[in-house]
Amino acid sequence: MSNDYALFLGCTIPNRLPHLEVSTRIVLKSLDVNVKDLPGFACCPDPVGFSALDRYTWLVLASRNLAVAEEKGLDVLTLCSGCFESLKTANYILKNENGFKEKINEALAKVGKEYKGTVEVRHLLQVLYEDVGPKKIESTVKKPLEGIKVAIHYGCHVLRPSEVVQVDDPDNPTCFESIVKATGATPVDYEKKFLCCGVGVRSVDENTTNKMIEEKLRYVRLSGADLLCVICPFCLIQYDIGQFQINKAFGTDYNIPVFYYPHLLALAQGISAEELNFKFQRIKPDAVLEKIEKL
Amino acid sequence: MVEASSGMDNRFRGEITETHEGETLNYCYQCSTCSGCCPVFRYNSKFNPRRIVENTLLGRRDRTVKSPDIWFCTVCHTCTEKCPQGVKVSEIIIELKNLSSKEGLFPVHLQEEAKALLDFGMVSPANKAILSRREKLGLPIIENAPPEEIRTLTSYTGFDKLVASKKPMEGEAQKKPEGEAPKKKEAAEE
Repeated sequence: MSNDYALFLGCTIPNRLPHLEVSTRIVLKSLDVNVKDLPGFACCPDPVGFSALDRYTWLVLASRNLAVAEEKGLDVLTLCSGCFESLKTANYILKNENGFKEKINEALAKVGKEYKGTVEVRHLLQVLYEDVGPKKIESTVKKPLEGIKVAIHYGCHVLRPSEVVQVDDPDNPTCFESIVKATGATPVDYEKKFLCCGVGVRSVDENTTNKMIEEKLRYVRLSGADLLCVICPFCLIQYDIGQFQINKAFGTDYNIPVFYYPHLLALAQGISAEELNFKFQRIKPDAVLEKIEKL
Repeated sequence: MVEASSGMDNRFRGEITETHEGETLNYCYQCSTCSGCCPVFRYNSKFNPRRIVENTLLGRRDRTVKSPDIWFCTVCHTCTEKCPQGVKVSEIIIELKNLSSKEGLFPVHLQEEAKALLDFGMVSPANKAILSRREKLGLPIIENAPPEEIRTLTSYTGFDKLVASKKPMEGEAQKKPEGEAPKKKEAAEE
């Protein structure tokens, strides 16, 4: 299998959390995953908002991105579960829903593009677990994160709808645990592990989103985890900035660092914390970094 | 009883069941697994997926498409995953939102997102501060699609008109300070 991908950055990582892009590029390079920055991608677009406004337009714009990757013959690697859902769903529907491909291509013809259905869409989690594999990840670890307890948050769109995304067992996934174990860290179980981060309801009902964040963090804290590890920038924003907001709203004192998985792996590979720029996150991970320093 | 029968619209049920995933609506036996596993319903009982499905089955357009409640769905797809009957609940709610949007009823934050997409081809476009941060972090310059290309597509699908057709939703009109949104748009265009 070729390890070349078109890197689909989306908008949240490059334009709001570029430090996540830094760690991602570092670890992908170390694992011999070659990513190409293709010109011409646009918004995925947002699977929650745009599918709700007009599902057809959502699929047209998502398919346009797939057509860009098809022109170069590259499978698409997404770093955000939102982008993953939009692109993967478009690919699935155009391949399986009768007459849809033709309907979408009528629109794409207006900009000289065509969707053919020749590339696959892969989530970072899939590429790390299925294509690279825990063994290879482990072989790049210079400083095993022994004794570091990690609460894993899969998020929603990488697992559901399972018929479309087809990643691991949606009821009992283990791929994320495997790649966390490969860093030498210990995944810890906790209640509400599969609770949604709530970003989809943030703009219409802040109280509900805050309560969802609080409930998740309550159980993460009970588990004794040193950090919460995510694989989607929206989940990261919810639990990082959101943690600060719920502390204000509910008078709580949560202080749980939130890591995007590549940050965890990069630390295990001996990359310095400065290079990973945790300063751009709200919750400072000083305590866990000190623990890692002492390993 | 009187109220229930007066709000019924049989064509409306057909509008949902004719869609690719909406046809699963007919299999619902109202067991409430969807509401039981819904993370939003836990905290906000106004958003009750079982009731939304029931109202759709009964053809109650007024209580679904015209209600702001459908917009509380966080689209986690847990209900679709767990439904013992294979009803695609979250996808049905998406179809309901599409019908609602066609009537100009959608939340203001989505209009803002959509305007950003039409202006920049991106919901969160880069700004000067981010471009300078990217440079400091040693990240490459990303060449995105020309926004005109996106606008050609959204104009073809009628999305631009849909975005402009927004009407105030229940409880929304009073909250929106006059003139705020247009100002933002002007700034974005400059």
